[in-house]
Amino acid sequence: MKKTPQEKKIQQNLQPGVITLTGFLGNDHRFYQDIIEEDKNMLIELCITPDEVADRLQYFTDLAWDSYDGPIIIDEVYQVEYKSYRGKIPCPFLHPGLFPKGTITLRNLFCQKEICWTPLNIHMIRKHCFFEGKGTPHRIEPNEIIEILFCKES
Amino acid sequence: MIISILMTVGIVAGIGGFFALLLIIAESTLMNYGECTITINDKKKITEKGGSSLLTTLNNNKIFLSSACGGRGSCGFCKCKILKGGGPLLPTELPFLDEQEKKDMVRLACQVKVKEDISIEIPEDIFAIQEFAGKVTSIKDMTYDIKELTIELTMPKEIEFKAGQYVQFVAPRYEKSRQSVTRAYSISSNPDHKKFIELIVRKVPDGLCTTYIHDYLKEGDTVNFTGPFGDFLIQDTHKDMIFIAGGSGKAPVKSMLEYLKAHKSKRKMTYLFGARTEKDLYHVELMKKLEDDLEHFEFVPILSKPDEGSKWSGKTGYIMPFLKEFIGKPENTEAYLCGSPGMIDAVIKELHNLKITDEQIFFDPFS
Amino acid sequence: MELNVFILFMAAIFTSNILLTNFLGMCSYLSVSRQIESSLGLGFAVFFVMTCTTALNYFVYYFVLVPLDIVYLQYIIFIIVIAAFVQLTEMVIERLSPVLYYSLGIFLPLITVNCAILGVSLFMVIRNYSFIQSVAFGAGSGIGWLLAILALAGIRQKVNDTFVPAGLRGAGLSLIITGIMALGFIGFSGIAVIQ
Repeated sequence: MKKTPQEKKIQQNLQPGVITLTGFLGNDHRFYQDIIEEDKNMLIELCITPDEVADRLQYFTDLAWDSYDGPIIIDEVYQVEYKSYRGKIPCPFLHPGLFPKGTITLRNLFCQKEICWTPLNIHMIRKHCFFEGKGTPHRIEPNEIIEILFCKES
Repeated sequence: MIISILMTVGIVAGIGGFFALLLIIAESTLMNYGECTITINDKKKITEKGGSSLLTTLNNNKIFLSSACGGRGSCGFCKCKILKGGGPLLPTELPFLDEQEKKDMVRLACQVKVKEDISIEIPEDIFAIQEFAGKVTSIKDMTYDIKELTIELTMPKEIEFKAGQYVQFVAPRYEKSRQSVTRAYSISSNPDHKKFIELIVRKVPDGLCTTYIHDYLKEGDTVNFTGPFGDFLIQDTHKDMIFIAGGSGKAPVKSMLEYLKAHKSKRKMTYLFGARTEKDLYHVELMKKLEDDLEHFEFVPILSKPDEGSKWSGKTGYIMPFLKEFIGKPENTEAYLCGSPGMIDAVIKELHNLKITDEQIFFDPFS
Repeated sequence: MELNVFILFMAAIFTSNILLTNFLGMCSYLSVSRQIESSLGLGFAVFFVMTCTTALNYFVYYFVLVPLDIVYLQYIIFIIVIAAFVQLTEMVIERLSPVLYYSLGIFLPLITVNCAILGVSLFMVIRNYSFIQSVAFGAGSGIGWLLAILALAGIRQKVNDTFVPAGLRGAGLSLIITGIMALGFIGFSGIAVIQ
């Protein structure tokens, strides 16, 4: 299918070695719009919006930022740690703005599952509904969101 | 029959050739902007063939406006005032300019194409920024994720910089990267040594440039960088100095301390180095030697999570609670911060609590 | 053919819509219709190129191909004319107006291989239109294409926030929507017949 020059450029930006070392597509070599559509439909099935996911990730990010060096326990269930680095990174979706570099790791102590993301991921989820391709370290599977980010006690 | 085939081929080739010629003429007239003169700050004049972006044209003439995104229009760092000849404001520039900047005719140099004579205004200290080439003479492991590079300058052979400034290091295309990238690293050597520089680089997971430096760069390789940049400098006062830096943030602090030692400064200096475990400490011997060489300098490493069973006898915990112990009179203290953005944010909050105002707090803006 | 120019123009937009009735120009139509802004940009670019190339190809056909008796070469020659025109237009727009270039000019490379543009020129030849009729037909077809892509973009925007079964995502649902729109446009067909 024909792609506009911008779409081709975005697909290029998502490849490894352009903006980040491992890229944003992982093992998934499909066109990025197809990945977004699949994840978007999964969110619709789960009755959750990208904004809600982004807000929840931002909530953990803000609390972890305040305790800058070392994991903290939030709400008794989530162990979160924020490692920040100097420098900023652009969004691959060809619009202005730079995002801080850093990794936020969250471990749900109840179900013992761990995910990690960056401030750029929060933006990409909120504005582009892009969760990265399967196989990247920062991919958050939509069907695990409820379990890991929202599930509290037994 | 053959004649009609030849005639057909001839006519198609003729018509195709006619249009190709038309396009060539069009390209050489429409896309040819001729020689354009760029007047900088009303004094310097550059004449170049038009068609490229202002940023590229200036770079080709050894004038380096800062850019974090390599001219792609993502970072907004390459702002400059265009007094005449910039053309209309483009939609790609609008998100970066506020109302005052639009009134002041500020534009993004990477988005403006040089199509006619242009008159621009840039800060004077941009002229001091140059392109350098050097040879890596040593790569030392400081910790499990930090390396120290020594680069001997080859062209030009000397660099003028101030303690605390940084360079934009160019990592070329390599196995893991499809294009060259530039990243900022603070210089950790004394500015009195003009023939070489030292950089302290911490590996960033998924980082294009730090992976190159840590895994691919070898002693003897040639490297390129531009600089020096930055306003994170030693303030010329007699106030007490408190340095707070962790990880690779030690680089500009080391440069400042070595400079102050060489110039026999008598200011009271304290350096709080925050780290997690003993494995994250480095250059401890060097700091202890500086304590002997400088009149009033104390090096205070603080570990937040020393390993169990380690023999650490120094301070433990986070840096913030110890700040008030080392700050004398707040109005007579300057704070110099360098490190991860999270640490800087947390330390600034505590400094405010201890009545140290923003005018007395200095840190690198690219954090 | 003796046809009122205005009727021809309106028929080209509605009853013989180049996309919904003749199903030409589907490729970029299906992929670019994800967003309304890019659909608008591409639609206007197609309209402009379609009108101009129909006029150009009229001259090329009746003043070059017919006198030299090589009308069978019309397919190749028309494509050459369209490609050259698009390239030229891109250069002119980039020179004259960077703002217009960013909103319209970036779609021009996509148009060179749009079969609707070749299709309109060929229809003009087959149906023996005069010059004014050709221009009206080209302009009308361009507007018709623009309307069709805008309509699909609007509908896709609405569908975006709803659940779509995996098998229908992307081109699948778009083609079904296009088919339903085409059915709707058949309702116009009694008004004026030009093909």
